[in-house]
Amino acid sequence: MDNMELEKIFSVAIEREIEAHEFYLAVSNKVINSDVKRVFKELAQEEMGHMELLTRFKNDPSMVMKIEMPQKDYKIAEATDLPKFDIAMKPADAIALAMKKEQESVKFYRGMAAISKDAKVKSQFEYLAGMELGHKQRLENVFVEIGYPEVF
Amino acid sequence: MIFVIGSNTTEAHPIVSYYIKRAVKKGAILIVNDPRKIDLTQWATMHVQHKVGTDIAYINGLMNEIFKNGWEDKEYLRDHTENPDEIRKWVEDYPVEKASEICGVPVETMKKVAKILGEAKVASVCYTLGITEHICGTDNVKTLANLQMVLGNIGTYAGGLNPLRGQNNVQGACDMGALPNVYHNYQAVDNPAIKEKFEKAWGVTGLPTKPGYKMPTMMRKALDGGTKILYCIGDNTIQTEPNITHSIKEIEALEFFVCVDIFPTITTAYADVILPDCSWGEVDGTFTNTERRVQRIRKVIDPPGDARPHWWVLQELAKRINGYDLGFASSEGVWEDMRKTATSCAGITYERLEHVGLQWPCPTLEHPGTPLLHTSGNFTRGKGLFHHTDNISPAEMPDETYPFLLSTGRRLWHYHTATQTRNSIGLEKLFPEELMEISPLDAQKLGIKSGDLVKATSRRGEINLKAWVTDRSAPGVCWCSFHFVEACANWLTIDRFDPVSETAEYKVCAIKIEKIADGKEPVSLIRRQARP
Repeated sequence: MDNMELEKIFSVAIEREIEAHEFYLAVSNKVINSDVKRVFKELAQEEMGHMELLTRFKNDPSMVMKIEMPQKDYKIAEATDLPKFDIAMKPADAIALAMKKEQESVKFYRGMAAISKDAKVKSQFEYLAGMELGHKQRLENVFVEIGYPEVF
Repeated sequence: MIFVIGSNTTEAHPIVSYYIKRAVKKGAILIVNDPRKIDLTQWATMHVQHKVGTDIAYINGLMNEIFKNGWEDKEYLRDHTENPDEIRKWVEDYPVEKASEICGVPVETMKKVAKILGEAKVASVCYTLGITEHICGTDNVKTLANLQMVLGNIGTYAGGLNPLRGQNNVQGACDMGALPNVYHNYQAVDNPAIKEKFEKAWGVTGLPTKPGYKMPTMMRKALDGGTKILYCIGDNTIQTEPNITHSIKEIEALEFFVCVDIFPTITTAYADVILPDCSWGEVDGTFTNTERRVQRIRKVIDPPGDARPHWWVLQELAKRINGYDLGFASSEGVWEDMRKTATSCAGITYERLEHVGLQWPCPTLEHPGTPLLHTSGNFTRGKGLFHHTDNISPAEMPDETYPFLLSTGRRLWHYHTATQTRNSIGLEKLFPEELMEISPLDAQKLGIKSGDLVKATSRRGEINLKAWVTDRSAPGVCWCSFHFVEACANWLTIDRFDPVSETAEYKVCAIKIEKIADGKEPVSLIRRQARP
């Protein structure tokens, strides 16, 4: 794998992070609930952080990606319906929407890894999938804590 | 640090009390807040004997002192609560001196409790019916939630606000939707999308669009024809509800009354039809305990005679009423329906429950269950919201005619209305009859000694029972349980309810006590019976 190819991989990943950042920023400006607004702003900020990290990798091919791969995938995003965006959406729906987006990213990078023939390229995509899986899991943990209220 | 309030844990929750005592042995600080000198006070670092029905003033006073000394969790308040400035302002109305006057706890004691709570790394609050069985029960709980948020004790190990559930499966019954306004796992009846979801899952149409009545409303509506039929499963309604004389009138006003129970009770005596029930050892199923842990129970013996499990009886009724087959072949089928329609339990299968229980939320087969909620500091609504609560006096306080305050509860030896435990020879022998607890000071004034027969009278009824003169109750306060129908506290209790939960104020009503006859048994026998 040459540096050009590596750059391409990171460019794709960076583009996805920018897209996610812009999405969360846009929805944070639209929603009514101040907590949902805060959640989306925080997510936008996090995506910016991911983008910066990936940019550093893109610019310095000598950097080695060392991502702690999550040991388990509880597949909560997979078991949850994608909530419709609504300006009056609740915090749990906002988190559900975000974890579904992370699920898509995991699927995307795993798909890229699966079709990559070069072992190093495959490995980079697997790392990226692992990174997104970590994000998905963190959001899933938050969702489990707020998504099933005992209200009666 | 464990803060127990309104919970006679040893007698009503012996297993939980075992864990509390074990924690004390390992060095935990235990503060027991209870108007009575209950057994757990023997293990407590401090026993705070506040007056019955003054919990809000007491807790608001503690919060006032916590803020005054800067012991609040500032970071938690800033990051995870919505209106921290408001709670700080609200509790300014309760300086400890004022709170002390209302709740009867000395100022220095209140300051000491606030300091212990404020300086503790983490504190767990356990409460139960002593908090909820008041006309201000909902506000009592909100006040405790305020306290735990002020201290940042939510979502942390050994912290939290822990309601100790009144029965072994009350959590499971609520989870299953045995409530008037929700389906499985708290999915609202009046939400059209949820209605549609259940209609699709069950292959039916026309599910209700409005919540039903809570139990007190259900009973009250019997008198004006709003409730015509009552189907009562394993509940000794007449003995359990406050003001038995009135409850009987309500039950008598029904057009049709069905009881499902394992033994005859005062309630089954009024039933048009009694269906035989299975006991816990005669059925398969699940119990869900107070920590949301779903556990398997297994049938060990066949039920007697024609007794059948609830799910079978209800399925047969559905078939015979409108030809609808619920399609269950076993209790596991009922649980599978729960899994399909309530994602919080979707990952819990009978197979996974084979060895140990699982705590919901457990949304997928891969998920290990959730022992602690809100660890990230998030709440369903976003940030935590403080509620404004003020002290509310009980509906009926002692006066010249009825000079004693009666509080009620449970005893170690008996369970609920003793439908099961009075049919157990051993337990019946250990605690064969109800006793009225009277303070030594009051007993002396009335010329009563332990074992004497007394008559307790309220505006709603009277009971005769033996006296137990004990310092467990403060002067002016009497106490008895609702286990024994012939001397049940609910002949006396008042049918006034919390406006939100509709829980009755079982913990306070006014009574008078008269001596009827001298006791014939030695006082030592009464003492031996009474102590848990």
